[in-house]
Amino acid sequence: MQKLYIHPLAVRIWHWINAIGFLVLIATGVQIRYVGEIDLMSFKSAVVIHSWCGFVLTANFFVWLLFYLFSDKIKVYHPELSPTKYFRATFRQMQFYGYGIFRGDPNPHHVSVYRKFNPMQSNMYQIIMMLLVPIQFFTGILLWDVARFESLVEMFGGLRVVDTVHMLIFIFFSGFIIVHIYLASLGHTPTAHFKAMITGYEEVEDEAEEGGAAISSDTHAA
Amino acid sequence: MTSSCLISPAAHWPGPRHLIHAGVLALTLLLSLAVAPASAGELSKETTACLKCHDKEGLDKTLESGEKLSLRISTQAYADSMHAETSCEDCHSEIDTKTHGKVKSEVKSKRDFSHSMRESCRDCHQKKFKEYDDSVHAAVIKQGSRKAPMCADCHDPHTVRSWKIPAPIAATPCAKCHQDIFKAYAGDVHGLERIAKGKGAPLCADCHKAHDVKAASMGDGIKDACLSCHKDAVKEHKDWLPKTDLHFDAISCPVCHAPDAQRRVNLRLYEGVGASTRPMKEKTGIPKFEKRAHAADAKDVGLDERALWSLLKEFNQDGGEGKAVLRGRLEVKSGVEAHQLAEKSKAIKDCKFCHQSGAEPFQSVTLTIAGPDGRPLRHGVQKEVLNSLLSIESIRGFYVIGSTRIKLLDTLLIMVLLGSIAGPLAHMAVKRLFKKFREQRAAEIRAAILAANSPSPPPDAPLPGDHSQRDGNPR
Repeated sequence: MQKLYIHPLAVRIWHWINAIGFLVLIATGVQIRYVGEIDLMSFKSAVVIHSWCGFVLTANFFVWLLFYLFSDKIKVYHPELSPTKYFRATFRQMQFYGYGIFRGDPNPHHVSVYRKFNPMQSNMYQIIMMLLVPIQFFTGILLWDVARFESLVEMFGGLRVVDTVHMLIFIFFSGFIIVHIYLASLGHTPTAHFKAMITGYEEVEDEAEEGGAAISSDTHAA
Repeated sequence: MTSSCLISPAAHWPGPRHLIHAGVLALTLLLSLAVAPASAGELSKETTACLKCHDKEGLDKTLESGEKLSLRISTQAYADSMHAETSCEDCHSEIDTKTHGKVKSEVKSKRDFSHSMRESCRDCHQKKFKEYDDSVHAAVIKQGSRKAPMCADCHDPHTVRSWKIPAPIAATPCAKCHQDIFKAYAGDVHGLERIAKGKGAPLCADCHKAHDVKAASMGDGIKDACLSCHKDAVKEHKDWLPKTDLHFDAISCPVCHAPDAQRRVNLRLYEGVGASTRPMKEKTGIPKFEKRAHAADAKDVGLDERALWSLLKEFNQDGGEGKAVLRGRLEVKSGVEAHQLAEKSKAIKDCKFCHQSGAEPFQSVTLTIAGPDGRPLRHGVQKEVLNSLLSIESIRGFYVIGSTRIKLLDTLLIMVLLGSIAGPLAHMAVKRLFKKFREQRAAEIRAAILAANSPSPPPDAPLPGDHSQRDGNPR
């Protein structure tokens, strides 16, 4: 096993603020929408916390964006431009999670400083970070003060359209967080990726150890 | 009595005693003028002459309709009225003094007589008359109503007093037609204060205007009337109510301040684009709204989301000045309920009252357009419209957190959450099922590695699990 510094400090700070913030947003969002059916806090408190948390996370998004814009680490988000390579790599990764992982095959993706995402993660995080997160914050800001942003709300199809988009992305993120936590537990040990997101260092198999990679997860879990 | 009648001309030097008498008389006269500025004595000669005959009990005229029109004018009441200085012939100019009382004039009914006399008010009260002409009362009369009030129905021209003089609320002319509303008003916070103090609290005209009165159920301008007295209301609401302006725009005051009232969502038709959007009005003689609404809702069970959508589409196809859109607003169901205002402490302040599924104000929905006379034309809408994905365009501007949420999205959320939990659980289960298989395979790999590292490895023997060769992905 060797340790690679994969997650820079700025990314780790951003990630954990984001993680806590998203949980708070989901909890308060559910409370706002399902008041009367769920009673975690008062409606008014939920609205206030949701709004403030939304602003904090919007600012936090720009921490992430600025870090990557001014860092060569942005390569981790570079898309694969060759469709053949893109589909082959994605298919191989899907095959691993859907089949190979049960057989004990090693993960086809090898983490390195400039390739920390596997092909599925790479696709997903490009969509999440460059599309879904900005849209969610934007619609959230519009809904925060619909009177102030009346013309923008109208431009985007009206209040119901804006709210539906906000809700659809909320539904996606609610599901994403659960799956994200599960997938994060599929490292060579169940806690390996969690620890890496705290320390910054991912434990990567040496080439010599590669043959035994398949069993590592089970062995450590045991 | 005038001074000319009371003070005799002095034929000789009256002496000090008489001077004192004259002074007392003059003082008494001055005081009486100050206390009662309008007295019968101030009436013009012509008016006095008319009243000589007309101030007699039982003087009346049987009209063609069989109604009896009282012709009696009380001299005292007339002298006390705002019209004391107006001569009878200023209004009754059609009367020929030579033939008056000798030739019988035909009058069909009291209503026709009021109608014929109406224009005489305009001569002096042009501004008020213009306002009245723009009112819902005048519009309804133009539509042929024989009940809507004309000037004399509210202001008896022979007894009319200044509005500044507080009168008992029972004397309010509006009560004659709007009994139910007036009864509710008399028992609400404004009515009770008015009864107790005689003034201060608003009477009908203070909110609804006396002459330029509009259909209050359309909700136009009534909030301004509330705020004209309750000047700190916006500020006080801002202290606790988030998005106060939005709430003020979308909710009528009685929704919260008449806690026992029944509420509803009023979806009102507007037309236009951007800032020029204005309420749509049914044109006189072209009754599109009712015809279309009934066609879209043949069973008369209320418009559903599809019917509402197609109805809007029809209005859009008329090629008006802009797109037909619906604007939603919360209001109370009737004028009676709008006049059941309670004390401030009893007003609804709980967000949950509106912001939860199944909230009472969202159980009734109506579609409204202003009729040709300014009064609302309505058609029922099914409440499910508020929670339908298909309404995303038709009621695009009306969304209340919690209570008008789209049900389909709730279902989607539950499905996604269940899927997100079930997927990993199933994956874990399969992974667990294959645990022994993986351990066995790992042992084989280890054995193969050991064998490969031993002094005499089998030549070209492939290693199980050697994926770098199998998938052609050298590492």
